[in-house]
Amino acid sequence: MKVVHYLNQFFAGLGGEEAADSPPTRLEGPVGPGRGLGLDVAVTLVCGDNFFGEHEDEALIQLLGWLDEEQPDVLVCGPSFGSGRYGYACGTLGREAARRGTPAVCGMDPENPGVLAAEGAAYVVRTEATVTGMRQALPKMAGLARRLGAAERIGLPEEEGYLPRGLRRNEFAEETGAARAIEMLLRKLAGRVSSEIESKLDRVFPPAPVPDLARAKLALVTEAGCVPQGNPDRLPSTRAGAWFRYPVGGLSGLSGGSYESIHGGFDPTAANADPNRLVPLDVARQLEEEGRIGAIHDFFYTTMGNGTPVATAAKFGREIGEELKEAGIEAVLLSGT
Amino acid sequence: MFVTALPTIAVMIGANRIVEGVAITHPFGDPAQSPAGELALRRRIVQRALEMLETDVDPNTVWQVGP
Repeated sequence: MKVVHYLNQFFAGLGGEEAADSPPTRLEGPVGPGRGLGLDVAVTLVCGDNFFGEHEDEALIQLLGWLDEEQPDVLVCGPSFGSGRYGYACGTLGREAARRGTPAVCGMDPENPGVLAAEGAAYVVRTEATVTGMRQALPKMAGLARRLGAAERIGLPEEEGYLPRGLRRNEFAEETGAARAIEMLLRKLAGRVSSEIESKLDRVFPPAPVPDLARAKLALVTEAGCVPQGNPDRLPSTRAGAWFRYPVGGLSGLSGGSYESIHGGFDPTAANADPNRLVPLDVARQLEEEGRIGAIHDFFYTTMGNGTPVATAAKFGREIGEELKEAGIEAVLLSGT
Repeated sequence: MFVTALPTIAVMIGANRIVEGVAITHPFGDPAQSPAGELALRRRIVQRALEMLETDVDPNTVWQVGP
């Protein structure tokens, strides 16, 4: 099995910070930590951490070029422990190599920004944050590299000791979902929380308050499937693939008979009788006239949240948000059903 | 600013400014009330939402609407 190993200037013995601007270098055989892997390291590639960070494109072209020449079975990067610049270089090179067909293994502390740079394309073995974890890290990385290089099937992150890559793979389970759910519930009652699916949700910090609502433009947005009567743009009642904007300039509210909800997940009788129950244009208009709100945006935005995947919803959010920002909207009232 | 009758889910998905609405099928109203009563209720919900927009909040804050 042919292995290529990547190191930074320090671990390759070129020097410390004074050598961090070193351009990519190609060395024969294993160097430094590479000798401890117990693998057949044919070539060691090296780059200064600052050089990689400041000239990423140039460094990648050179390093990937050498990888193309060598055609190894697997690339091993680091370990880079808690070192941010080194970790970033390892994660980035590992990712690019993996996307070009060479499996890659990195080793890092889970907080290292290189874990994100790897984007789940390169495997990242969990290590300590400092070089004192070298002795434990090398055999773990080598073991995974050996199996990847042999194109063996790789098990789950917790079985194999690498960090979750954010991927899902279909598998046949011995037990039905019901049995597994009960098992999981019993574990939870015993104080051990576990999940088959890692939740990966967006965390954003709350934006600052609106400084002066009496001067601000406010937009009304909904995922309740509220559309003009007859659904002219054919918004689907479930798993919507689009959002729409409809004019409300000059309207004092959304009247039943002119607007409706095409929600496919609940009984829209109450909403259709008075669509202001979903999009409160009538009250918003009153508050605009009273000067509590500067102005109501001339359009309301709508989609159907029923069964919509989170990734699609996030895309709608970004698109609508960009439009609203461009229109100078400072506040949004979003309704969910 | 998000008005929903399912604030637990809103918190789970990471929404930050959340006001609890009346019901899943009609967050901004209540067909059981008189038209005037319902309009007043809707106004209280929207006013509460506006107050929240003007307030510095911690992540995933949920406010209820008073009577």
